[in-house]
Amino acid sequence: MPTLYERLGGAPAVDAAVDIFYRRVLADGRIARFFDNVNMEEQIAKQKAFLTMAFGGPNKYTGKDMREAHKKLVAKGLNDMHVDAVVENLSSTLRQLGVGEKDVLEVAALANSVRADVLNR
Amino acid sequence: MNMLTYRSAAIDIKPGEDVLSALLRAEIDAPHSCRAGVCQTCLHRAVEGTPPAAAQEGLTEAQKAQGYFLACVCVPKTPLTVIPTDEAAARSEVIVRAIDRLSGDVARLYLEHGPDFSYRPGQFLELITPEGLGRHYSIASVPEEDPHVELHIRLHRGGRMSGFVSEQLSPGDRLHVAGPLGTCFYEGVDPGQPLTLVGAGTGLAPLMGILRDALRRGHHGPIRLYHGARERAGLYLHDPLEALAAKRENFTYVPRALSEPGFDGGDVAAAVLEQEQALKETAFFLCGGERLVSRLKRDLFMKGASLKQIRSDVFLPAN
Repeated sequence: MPTLYERLGGAPAVDAAVDIFYRRVLADGRIARFFDNVNMEEQIAKQKAFLTMAFGGPNKYTGKDMREAHKKLVAKGLNDMHVDAVVENLSSTLRQLGVGEKDVLEVAALANSVRADVLNR
Repeated sequence: MNMLTYRSAAIDIKPGEDVLSALLRAEIDAPHSCRAGVCQTCLHRAVEGTPPAAAQEGLTEAQKAQGYFLACVCVPKTPLTVIPTDEAAARSEVIVRAIDRLSGDVARLYLEHGPDFSYRPGQFLELITPEGLGRHYSIASVPEEDPHVELHIRLHRGGRMSGFVSEQLSPGDRLHVAGPLGTCFYEGVDPGQPLTLVGAGTGLAPLMGILRDALRRGHHGPIRLYHGARERAGLYLHDPLEALAAKRENFTYVPRALSEPGFDGGDVAAAVLEQEQALKETAFFLCGGERLVSRLKRDLFMKGASLKQIRSDVFLPAN
């Protein structure tokens, strides 16, 4: 039985998804302001790390960096609503790429598993 | 044989161990995060030896060509000498061979360099005065065709480097340069794909290098060069570029002077967004001030360009 990451298509699938996902996030009025003045190349690399983790791919996720990276944003008002928006954008990206609903839900669950770290709770 | 050297220090690395782990074990504070070859936080550069291909996955072709690699997934098969990415560039001496004016406020400098200085057109270097004042300039020349390094220097009223170049510098003078630096050059571009070069002011310098490099390497896809300036006089290579466009079927030159009404007038970024069609297939090079580059990069990406296919260099004002 192939893993979620294998079913989604591995690293090439992450590559295919990252531009679409990031474009959706930047176009989303609810969360776009958190991405003002960021270096887009660094951001894409970070989004790839996040997608790899959410796709169930190889990672050594510890949560420490996730907490550090979002500390300032939490101070600026980052909350559950914004995390919901990101997960929503991730799900619609996968649907656009033709991923089945069962796998979409599995990715959303993995993405949701880092919510507490992102919000520094 | 010693498999890993950091700057000039030999580092103990166990068989099968990755470079990042070895550096951390040697108490070197190497930046890192995912430890899975994805986030690129642990980016380092090999100045001697070749990193295994697996350690360069996901990097741009320009980064690969410069020896960049991800330390967390790099298990050296052959000896490597590595440096952090913010390591100061090597210095070398150059001799001024010619200075002339391209326009009222743009000077062109030709520098003779030694055999140790090798560069790719579009990279930049730091020009250093005898007093130690340093400024970054992009390289407009092509090493295979030009004997000297060519720089375009925007002369600012009251600028210290500007004053030095326009009043003190003369042919025969010796100066130091550091570099070359940067990954904004013709690499990882398919020769048949559309190539779009956008620059404002002396952002034209790297684009001229990239354009000539692309033609030399047989780029046969459509090439468009957009050059923006405040006034028409700032379109300082207008005539030679028009002539090239008349001669080469796959090359188009789009000049835009901000203060000019009508034909050739207006904002260069607006012209790009209006005229560019096959965004997804195009390789972009954007060079100029922060406002132009950041805004255009975002706009092109949002309209469908692939971020991997947008190379850019931001010209920051001297502080």
